[in-house]
Amino acid sequence: MIAAGTALLDRLYLPARLGAPLVVRRNPVYQEGVELMAMEPEAREAAEAMARYCRGDATAFHKLYGLLAARILAYLTGLLGDKAAAEDTLQLTFLKVHEARANYVLGANPIPWIYTIAHRTALDEIRKRKRSRVRVGKDAELPAEPAAHITGVAADVHPDPAEPSDGSGPAAAAVALAALAKLPENQRQALILTKVHGRSIADAALITGSSPGAIKQRAHRAYVTLRQLLKRKEVA
Amino acid sequence: MSGGNGFDDSVLGRATGVDAPPPAPSAELLRAVEGSKPVRTRTRFGAALVVSLVGLVAPAIALVHGPLRRDLAGLPAAWVIAAAALWGAAFALSLVAALVPRRGDVLPAPSRASLVSTAAMAVVALFALFATVDVPGLSMLPADRGWTLFDSCVHCIGTVAKIAAVVLIAGLIALRRLVPVGGSRVGMALGAAGGALGGLLLVFICPFATTAHVVLGHVVGMVLAAIAGAVLVRATAR
Repeated sequence: MIAAGTALLDRLYLPARLGAPLVVRRNPVYQEGVELMAMEPEAREAAEAMARYCRGDATAFHKLYGLLAARILAYLTGLLGDKAAAEDTLQLTFLKVHEARANYVLGANPIPWIYTIAHRTALDEIRKRKRSRVRVGKDAELPAEPAAHITGVAADVHPDPAEPSDGSGPAAAAVALAALAKLPENQRQALILTKVHGRSIADAALITGSSPGAIKQRAHRAYVTLRQLLKRKEVA
Repeated sequence: MSGGNGFDDSVLGRATGVDAPPPAPSAELLRAVEGSKPVRTRTRFGAALVVSLVGLVAPAIALVHGPLRRDLAGLPAAWVIAAAALWGAAFALSLVAALVPRRGDVLPAPSRASLVSTAAMAVVALFALFATVDVPGLSMLPADRGWTLFDSCVHCIGTVAKIAAVVLIAGLIALRRLVPVGGSRVGMALGAAGGALGGLLLVFICPFATTAHVVLGHVVGMVLAAIAGAVLVRATAR
């Protein structure tokens, strides 16, 4: 009954998967009796590493870390807007993956799962920051506010006139990061997952715990807002 | 992709450092990994099977040892089968949506869980509203026991709550560390599954067959169980 129910639900969910990249179900990989789903090569590689890791192979962890750490770090940097905090959160994320490895289902794609754990860890970090937003020094004085350029952008992220005008310089990236930080949290998540990391709508919904429709809408709104923000800065 | 304002999407990638090398694993992480032992991983259906078996114990005992509704023999067999199948399907589908990941996924999908459990609650509510059947002379009214409609509903909601509590507790244990996000949606489906199991039991034991009672006692019981599940799982299962 449970199996029949699952098959039915998998079919029911088909419309939400239409946004997902086409996966050709061919050449399934078998590993110790467990069928790895027909999936993209990187997902298959991650699934194989995760399976070996769950069997106690520590070298497989390094393989998994090498495969995913850069993009998880980028995701966390986008959410937190702070490289140092993102690096700490990355370590915490992989520690949580280690502790929760018994929850992995052999043969499944571990990438959205690890993104989800990173997402949760980042949300906890953001909440922690909100709770301790006002930090008073030992001498009971508030730290100085960062200097601002006349355009309203933080002085350290304002583009250098000597920078290339095609938007490929570090200052343009900093401006984009500052604009990203101005987006509402849920829009920022949807935009980063779908536009920057190329996750499918279904994956992004799973990672953030939202519905595919909500992800589409948030990504679109974020994209429009971000374009307006960046255009305004360019004009200024 | 480049917009009319000259802004390129890849700027976002550079801004978040997609190509930047990650730091090496920290000493704490390496220590944890080096000492790791093989673990027994989950299976897709394991948790759902265990929770359904645990959840079915109490209704099975109630059906075997407790009194059945006195109008059961007088009700159309097709209606009894349809009602039981509907509540049973609401239980199974909600439970699967809450605990079984889609093929190729590790986590249950919160959006699917909320969609399925909402649909299950809507279907049983419509069935209760438009297809409740009674047997004149055999079916009871709350007044026959000296109860008000409210009393009878509270009684049945209590029965649903007891059955749903078992499913919820077993489900919460199964969902430990498994719902980093979307806990309220997954919990809603788990609670709805428990409530539907309670509703299934009431098809056989509840002597009151009025539409008002079935909607306000049985269906509302399921809805309350779903709300309780949403609150509990969100608060505890992360």
